[in-house]
Amino acid sequence: MRRSALSLAAVALFACPALAGDTCGHGTTLDFVNSPKEAAAIAKKEQKLVLVLHVSGHFEDPGLT
Amino acid sequence: MGALNNPAVGKYCNEFFVSSYQKVATFKIVGGNKQGGNVAAYFCAPDGRVLHCVAGPVDAQTFLREAKWTVETAKAAIEKSKGDGAKFKEFFRKAHAEKLRAEFGLAVEAVTFDPPEPMGDNDALTYRDPTGRPLAPKLPPPPIDGPDVTLDEKKFDKLQKEAAAAPGNRVVACGLEGKGRRVVVTNQSLVHQVMAAHSLVPIERVYGTVFENILGEKISTKPVDVVRPFSWVDKDGNRLKPQR
Repeated sequence: MRRSALSLAAVALFACPALAGDTCGHGTTLDFVNSPKEAAAIAKKEQKLVLVLHVSGHFEDPGLT
Repeated sequence: MGALNNPAVGKYCNEFFVSSYQKVATFKIVGGNKQGGNVAAYFCAPDGRVLHCVAGPVDAQTFLREAKWTVETAKAAIEKSKGDGAKFKEFFRKAHAEKLRAEFGLAVEAVTFDPPEPMGDNDALTYRDPTGRPLAPKLPPPPIDGPDVTLDEKKFDKLQKEAAAAPGNRVVACGLEGKGRRVVVTNQSLVHQVMAAHSLVPIERVYGTVFENILGEKISTKPVDVVRPFSWVDKDGNRLKPQR
């Protein structure tokens, strides 16, 4: 029980957009939502396009963020 | 300052796009060791079909230019197609071919039909994970016909020199069988080449070609949702110390 509570706390710490539609920049000037699926739903409603970043492997580029 | 840190990029993208991220596992073998890591930004319709893509890290000016081109081209395509999805697709693919011609001096014929490409377990045109499971189809780009005939040699040489200084530059041969004139291509020119045949294809079908064919990294998973897109910064943007 205690272990699962700790796990949930860790997830909450790292997953900054807690609610659907909330955004987080993750150190960038962009507002990110949690998933492409969520982005698609909002984009359809707000008549916007969707931007999806695919970050791969051990990519670490200070020039990106 | 990185492209995604740039205030103008943020302002524009937040106005016209809803942004999200996924993780993809990729690698390449360098000196017998697995290395890897890269980034691709897909500009998509709300239904997830890819309109355009930026392959690899680029500067803010380039990112903003490509984002604006996507928005302006989408507006023009909506106006011209008048609700006809096939015409919208045709417009977008031709726009990619035209951008390739205008910015890189390379001519390709846009592919304005979708050939049936079922991805079966035995399909040779499939990117696979290390266990052999199919991940994404290989989307063949249309062949480069050659330099744009409206350019003289001097202008084409200038564009080729610019391409030779751009990320992902490499030499390829023109023509269907790859036996024609050799020209310099870049990550972004390859994106336009692929998109001239495969824009308006779902992101799950495109990502394999972007990572393997353009960025030169083997994919080993499908895209997955994650809670943190950038492993080197925390949720507040503070740079983390590298783990030893």
